[in-house]
Amino acid sequence: MTAEAARTRSTGSSSLPRVLGPIRPRARWQELRLLLVVAAALVIGSVSLGATVTGSFAPYDPWGLGIYLAVLLGAHLAQVLAGRRTDQILLPAVAMLGGISLLLMERLPKDLVVQRFFGTSFGLAEVQLIWLVGALVVATTVGIVVRSDSWLRRYKYTWAAVGVGLLLLTFVLGSEINGQRLTLQIGPVSGQPSELLKVILVVFLAGYLSENRALLVEQDTRLGPLRLPPLPYLAPMVAMWAIALGIVVVQRDLGAALLFFGVFLALLYAATGRLSLVVIGLVLFLLGSAVMANLFEHIRTRIDIWIDPFSDPLGAGYQVIQALHAFARGGLLGMGLGGGLPEIGGQPPIPEIHTDFPLAALGEELGIVGVVAILGIYLVIIERGLRIGVAAADDYRSLLAIGLALVVGIQAFIIAAGNLKVLPLTGVTLPFISYGGSSLLANALVVGLLMALSDKGVEPPPPPSSRSRWARLARRGAG
Amino acid sequence: MDGFTLVLWGVRILFLALLYLFLARVVRALLRDLRAAAREPADRPGRLVVIESPGGEPAVGRSFGLDVITPLGRDVNNAIVIEDPFASAEHAVLTYRGRSWYLEDLDSTNGSYINGQPVDGVAALTYGDEVQVGQVRFRLERTRA
Repeated sequence: MTAEAARTRSTGSSSLPRVLGPIRPRARWQELRLLLVVAAALVIGSVSLGATVTGSFAPYDPWGLGIYLAVLLGAHLAQVLAGRRTDQILLPAVAMLGGISLLLMERLPKDLVVQRFFGTSFGLAEVQLIWLVGALVVATTVGIVVRSDSWLRRYKYTWAAVGVGLLLLTFVLGSEINGQRLTLQIGPVSGQPSELLKVILVVFLAGYLSENRALLVEQDTRLGPLRLPPLPYLAPMVAMWAIALGIVVVQRDLGAALLFFGVFLALLYAATGRLSLVVIGLVLFLLGSAVMANLFEHIRTRIDIWIDPFSDPLGAGYQVIQALHAFARGGLLGMGLGGGLPEIGGQPPIPEIHTDFPLAALGEELGIVGVVAILGIYLVIIERGLRIGVAAADDYRSLLAIGLALVVGIQAFIIAAGNLKVLPLTGVTLPFISYGGSSLLANALVVGLLMALSDKGVEPPPPPSSRSRWARLARRGAG
Repeated sequence: MDGFTLVLWGVRILFLALLYLFLARVVRALLRDLRAAAREPADRPGRLVVIESPGGEPAVGRSFGLDVITPLGRDVNNAIVIEDPFASAEHAVLTYRGRSWYLEDLDSTNGSYINGQPVDGVAALTYGDEVQVGQVRFRLERTRA
């Protein structure tokens, strides 16, 4: 085969997704069996909720649950028809979390969120159902259509520019809610760019680290007892650190900063295997946090609440104390879905329960047993991502899969730890469970990409033709 | 305690039990997957896949498991024998040191290339890179887990 033919074969077939190609269905029994368990669990959960709230054994909101299960079945059938050999565990795991989210939102007061689409107003559960359906559609579509990662791999600096642009746009145009500048509103569309930003961050870091991995591992700049990689390669680390601190200062978004920096350090470790880099990063982060805490009132407040919420139980510490009480009331087996504490003065006892404290609500109603099961499902998602990363054909795909899995895992950890007063509370969402369109869609994109990457028959990665200038210099120098 | 409360309690426990049934089934699938991966020989750090070979020896698509030191060349004593008029008898050697791959050109007549760049002495390479010896091109890949 000539070089020309080889090239056309490797790139030509992938430039257009073969959506309308020959259809060769492939059964996905494992996925179907797991989805049946998910459906059974959700129906029983809905009956439990209905019995507690209305006093009769019937599903609480049969239509909502029916629509959700029908869309799940549709997602499964679409994947069967597409006939790709992709992961069969991710979709059921996400479906279980999304279903629990739906049950929780049906149980919370409807008027926490009211949105009007086309003259009809929708309450909390309905809006969440719309977003959940959207998330399943996004995950399935991405999982079926994406057959090549070259559009991510080749344009990593373009993606980085898009990310920085989004960030700057939010800095300048973002509207401030509760002292945090997170939401970007353009016309009728509003969203939280930091959710999309975390995906872009992983795409860029995977590209950057896979390209420069050899250099980061091999060469040293000695600084006393420390062995550091060559100084130019520390620049992105410092830049990441600056961006994270910038997010804290301008957006007052501790959660996103923690998430971005955590993912960065985890990927750096995955790419280089050098613990020294992680230690340096952590020291930098702690130093930065200490300085920030001294400079900014709102960060100091967060830390004070974390250390002793009972010093101001009805003011700053109220939210955290109510969450702790919710976990305590839940005990081992919980109060049952719908059995949590009724509203105080028309509001649920924990402010922002649907976005920041869903785990506390679930802790109250399902107990520690239920919370452990939910955390277990997050572990399953992380395990799948790491496995896909280990089995990947080259460094880029490997780091991309690991980063995507960790971005979900670290985010779940940050907010779960915040709910449980293990870490200071930060306002990130609990993936797939919290209310919110941006969060659900961004996490669905992550799962869709993971499924696409898990395909065993995916096209081989293109040869890395253009190397960075530094890599070429180093190669020459090594001789 | 009346019947309704008892049945409701049962339904609540059943929901939690189904959550754990789901987890148990998933974990069993994960374990099966990990065991299958562990059975496959994974002691080799990587493999070279032939992507272009005008002479047909080695054939395109053939995959060579790599040792820590893998010599390439036309001589039959090489681990990977390349029947190509442009390859030297002892052409190059691939080594795996630390966590990285290196290609050393053994002063071959026509040189060795990584991604089209000539190798001067020793050069580092990573998974996904293309190695050219003579007219034969390989791609360095991870051993599939």
